Amino acid sequence: MASTFKTFGSDDQTVTTTNLHEVIPITGTIVSGTYSDNNIKNYAHGMFQSVYDYPYLSSSANHIFDITVGYSANSSLSGAANTQNAKKINIYNQFAKVLVQPDVTGSIQDFDQDGDISGGGAKMRECFFFPFSRLLVKDEIKKGSFQMTAFLSGAYTSLLAPSTVYDAGAQTDYKVNSPAGEYGLLYTNSAGTGTPIGHVYYQAGIAVLTASVFNLYAQPAGFNADDEDITAVLTGSSISGSTDGFRHRLKNVQFNNTTELNSSIYFCRAGSNEFNYSSNPTYLSGSQVVIKNARTDTPASYITSIGLYSSDNVLLATAKLSEPLKKDPTNELTLRVRLDY
Amino acid sequence: MAFLDNSGDIILDAVLTDEGRRRLAEGKGTFRITKFALGDDEIDYGLYDKNHPSGSAYFDLEILQTPVFEAFTNNGSSMKSKIITINNPNLLYLPVIKLNDQSGRGTVEANFGADTFLIPVDKTTNDKFTADQNTGVIRSPADGEITETFGAGLRLDQGLDTTSISPGAGLSSDLREDTFIIEMDNRLGSLISFRGSDDSDPIEKTPSNVDDDDIATYMVSATTDPDFVDAITNTTTQAGQVISGPRGNRLRFRTRPKIDLAESDYYFDLFGSADASATITGASTLTNVKYIDSFVTIYGASTGYTVQIPIRFLKDNS
Repeated sequence: MASTFKTFGSDDQTVTTTNLHEVIPITGTIVSGTYSDNNIKNYAHGMFQSVYDYPYLSSSANHIFDITVGYSANSSLSGAANTQNAKKINIYNQFAKVLVQPDVTGSIQDFDQDGDISGGGAKMRECFFFPFSRLLVKDEIKKGSFQMTAFLSGAYTSLLAPSTVYDAGAQTDYKVNSPAGEYGLLYTNSAGTGTPIGHVYYQAGIAVLTASVFNLYAQPAGFNADDEDITAVLTGSSISGSTDGFRHRLKNVQFNNTTELNSSIYFCRAGSNEFNYSSNPTYLSGSQVVIKNARTDTPASYITSIGLYSSDNVLLATAKLSEPLKKDPTNELTLRVRLDY
Repeated sequence: MAFLDNSGDIILDAVLTDEGRRRLAEGKGTFRITKFALGDDEIDYGLYDKNHPSGSAYFDLEILQTPVFEAFTNNGSSMKSKIITINNPNLLYLPVIKLNDQSGRGTVEANFGADTFLIPVDKTTNDKFTADQNTGVIRSPADGEITETFGAGLRLDQGLDTTSISPGAGLSSDLREDTFIIEMDNRLGSLISFRGSDDSDPIEKTPSNVDDDDIATYMVSATTDPDFVDAITNTTTQAGQVISGPRGNRLRFRTRPKIDLAESDYYFDLFGSADASATITGASTLTNVKYIDSFVTIYGASTGYTVQIPIRFLKDNS
């Protein structure tokens, strides 16, 4: 019986998972400078800024990350007289609620400096937050790949040498006590020694940096263009004013993203006596096979496409070979079709 | 779609079709790949040069250099010609499916749409055909009041179209097509039976699938649908036949226009045309018409052979 379909056997399909990584470099001049802040979107609510890779009014622009700042209600800087006091607390609580494990009563907890919440210790109560867009993060940030280089010291108009923060050692040493997934600790050295100055949440794609990192470098007045120090900025400036100051100091952000690729692989096997004729209208002249002169000549076909079908003959997926493949009774072929999800 | 880069290793460019994605999104378990087929849409076997002066190694040189398109995502746009499995490697002739315009059915409409079958969509249009003169007209209007259809319909015959083998030799079972797959635009028409002069109470088939592009697929077989598929009994003469050699089964059907076409001009205005001075054989008073050109595709389920029949839905616009 002639046939055009071949049913897959139990050994003809397999499922695999592959992690793909891309390097994501974000240069500081994009964040502050190149586009004269036309790529920075501020909102009427003033709770965060969005950074685009091109002036955001252009349809070519891609949203790459947001930047905002907040402090805990438990922070010594918190005060009703502060500019946007409630919004800064709301922002902090929002991130803490999503990223930090709540206590047994369900109450929001502050960010713990070393991630050891039950062990107590120092808290990060004033923080800058960097939620990166899914376009960059994809499924997650690759552990141990995160670096942020910023001018942590020097005045606004006379920045000193930049410093780089790393999620050092996170390939083998990371935390799992966040409801948002795994996170690593950020250090100001690649060896991962000293006091952590922030967290990077890999699956959530969010970096959290304590504002006190600027105090580590005896931050002079001049964090922002108004010549204020970090404490004055956090209390007296708006959120966008604070993030403007940080963007000015940001030199580079880099990480590798991860895409988890689940693949179904179908092995399309054509045996020696299979798929040697064609229903192509040019294959016949009248009813005669045009590539044969005599009955005993070897039949052949030239494969360019593979169709994957449902049981009711509906084409669900299709694959194309980059060049025709000859099939005749003297050869057997196995074509491996991979569908990624 | 662009061509694939064929300068290096052979690569495989695979995509889900739009219908595949729709089924995946539907989440009803209908996205289940169970079988595969191989195709050769881009290949022109006429380029096979059996007389190449440099020898047999060069016979298929031009075929192997054929550039191949990227995969189309529209499920209806690819795998139009499939590679066939037939265990016997010593076949010189393969069966074809041919439109049978013999046996008193004459030729299709020549004046108004060459080689196109006309389908009046309502009683008013149908009544303007005076007789069985234009045998290309498939009389199957949506309006149930119509009883006179003049015995017109489509017939396709299957077999070996060669004079080298006598029809009496018979068609071997592995080349006989028992099941036909018919595709047509589900917005315009549906499949009904055609039993020659016996037009009473035609059977209307339910499509086995309607895809995201509104293309309906029907499957009819000699086993379950004898009103659509049966054997060609004439194995001795050429009278009324289009298959010269051994004959297999014949497929007979008509297209019934959807009631939307009879009662509304929406589709005619959307993708149809109008002609205020048409000349239509057998319908001299039918000059001002709206019409939609479409086609019906017939596949042999086992041999994969494909035929496309142009059809024109016709409506009186006077």
